[in-house]
Amino acid sequence: MLQKYGLAAAAAALIGIGSSAHAADCPVKLGAILPVSGPMGQVGERIAETGLFAVEQFNEAGGVLGCPVEYVLRDTQGQSAVGVDAAKSLVDLDGVQALIGAVSSGVSLPVLTSVAVPSKVVQVSCCSSSESFTALAEEGKTEGYWFRTYATNRSQSAIGAKLTVDSGFKNTAVIYVNTDFGVGLAKRFEQDIARLGGSISSMVAYNESQQSYRAEVTKALEGNPDSLYLVAFPVDGATITREWLALGGTDNLIVNNSLRSDDYFQAVGPQFLQNLQGYDSAQPRLPSVDSFNEMFEARFDSPPNGPGLHSVYDAVTVVLLAMEASGDITGDNIRDNIRLVTSPDGIEVYPGPEGIARAKELLADGKTIRYVGATGALSFDRNGDVQAPKMTWKLDGDENVETGYLSTAEVAELIKMLDE
Amino acid sequence: MIGLVSYIVFFLILSLIFGIAVLGLNLQWGFTGLFNAGVAGFTAIGAYTMAILTGPARDAVLGGFELPFVVGLIGAMMASGIGAVIVGLATLKLRHEYLAVATFGIAVTIQLVCLNWEYLTGGTLGLIGIPNPSKAWADGPLAQNALYLLVVLVVVGLTFAALERIVKSPWGRMLKAIREDDIAAASLGKSPERVRLEAFVLGCMIMGLSGALYVSFIGYVSPWDFLPIVTFQIWTMLIVGGSANNRGALLGALIVWGVWTMSGFVISRVVPSEIQAQGGAMQAVLIGLILVVTLLIRPRGLIGEELHVSRHARS
Repeated sequence: MLQKYGLAAAAAALIGIGSSAHAADCPVKLGAILPVSGPMGQVGERIAETGLFAVEQFNEAGGVLGCPVEYVLRDTQGQSAVGVDAAKSLVDLDGVQALIGAVSSGVSLPVLTSVAVPSKVVQVSCCSSSESFTALAEEGKTEGYWFRTYATNRSQSAIGAKLTVDSGFKNTAVIYVNTDFGVGLAKRFEQDIARLGGSISSMVAYNESQQSYRAEVTKALEGNPDSLYLVAFPVDGATITREWLALGGTDNLIVNNSLRSDDYFQAVGPQFLQNLQGYDSAQPRLPSVDSFNEMFEARFDSPPNGPGLHSVYDAVTVVLLAMEASGDITGDNIRDNIRLVTSPDGIEVYPGPEGIARAKELLADGKTIRYVGATGALSFDRNGDVQAPKMTWKLDGDENVETGYLSTAEVAELIKMLDE
Repeated sequence: MIGLVSYIVFFLILSLIFGIAVLGLNLQWGFTGLFNAGVAGFTAIGAYTMAILTGPARDAVLGGFELPFVVGLIGAMMASGIGAVIVGLATLKLRHEYLAVATFGIAVTIQLVCLNWEYLTGGTLGLIGIPNPSKAWADGPLAQNALYLLVVLVVVGLTFAALERIVKSPWGRMLKAIREDDIAAASLGKSPERVRLEAFVLGCMIMGLSGALYVSFIGYVSPWDFLPIVTFQIWTMLIVGGSANNRGALLGALIVWGVWTMSGFVISRVVPSEIQAQGGAMQAVLIGLILVVTLLIRPRGLIGEELHVSRHARS
């Protein structure tokens, strides 16, 4: 019986398909493919809600070209085949011209190669960090349809290495999560630290969701490191840190921005983390960021701490602004106009309903704009990657305090120096 | 309407690719009674072999052979077959749940090897740019996908016909005899160990074929494509469709993949957007419910095994 109800509901839903395939029709649909269940479910759910929040704010400002925006969310379950099917269904059945997502690169990349590029639909990810995207774009195989608002590993490893060397550490152990994200970041870190005059005592990869990491920690403790660079996510990161400290490891910790989370600090105990330092890409000191944080707190009653929240807000807003700038909402127009609304010499506009309303006025007057959003001023390079300003932070008691700031230009300079 | 047609073509490609793996599992479990819980591992071997044989050259990674599609398919089957011989020799003395635990462990091991042996598999970054032959022969996504569907249909048709022929042959009857009572079969002079190994290897080769078709279609392969959930999906397809029936195996693939994807579509349509972020949980519940209800109503699957004494016997 249930199956029959399911099919009946599906059939009823299918009737609506034909009418939504045209770009000019209301509402304008924006597809999102995010892992709201499965291993990344908790992270994905908050990202999905923040994406919806960005759409709501755009609708408060009058929507796209006078139409309300409908946010159509599909779950990837963290599985590539499910994500690919969801994306294809959004493109073919819902007629979306832009996709937000996915979170893990292992899902985003199949979606890009088998759905977005062949169907000429723009795909903007909040969170996928793999270097494979840059490689694919360099080969011309993304055809410009790929963007990400998540600053690539390149700048993260650079600032991590700089922070380590500036803190006077000479012999650093590296423990990193064995995913495309962790491996890419750790390898770059190894190169960068050598360039800056530091050295690595050991590189240890760990696989996710284990009960204990004693073996990995023991291996990393060999060679008497004076500091630990940790690339991990909160739950496993806390396990590793506890075991590291318990086995006599130094408390000179440098952690990746994925560990800038209260869950991690509380799980380890902030009193043990008073020599912890970290960096983050998403919190530049700009009014646009503060105003996003305030709006987010007003809406969700909690600060936007967590991976991907700032970057998904900007991903959605940039796509919707690009749609606004397009007379006819097609993937090609969105792709081209994303450049127009993030133009370095454009007039600056900010997040929130008022900022968006102003952006729409400027676009209607035929002006180019520069969206300065929740992650700061976005500027996509030719591969669709962004660089973001960086900040460094430490724990002081329970408080997460900022200790330094590098603007986008300074980050670019650092990377240039490291790459030469 | 073009959107709907385009989606259905896409859906059929994926579900039939799953269907091929289900056919392989059906030979092992349905006809021979081998509890292979390592399906994802053998599809992974086929998938990576395809990617390495047909893919472009890459820095610091094995590859650049750029061999034709068909060579890739054959190579994928051979590689999965070789893997299955090794695994089979080591594990097939185990029966039932012991074999399941062993093969499950092997699938996880294979996935971890894919994750860590960077020279062969590209590690976590995966392998990009795997050619899809239909892109060279047709223009536009719909035509290309339709062409690829045709390729998949041909492969499914050949696999199906071959398996039907095999299970009706004397060798196929021997499989069932061993499944039902291997001591009785041995007393008739058959060698259950050898026949089990043959069925295991053949089934795994078909799984490798399925993996090869998948990566060629998607154009990318990474270790995240072969998590244990894939094994679970393939098993569900076989049980829902009906084990020991090749038609049931294919039907199960279509129905289960349909439920899996349709439930997401329905939730995106009927659940208000404010609570859609919780929709993932609802989708999992919906999938589970439909599967449980199907099994309550049709415990032997939608099309179960056809019972007959001999196809030569006249009724």
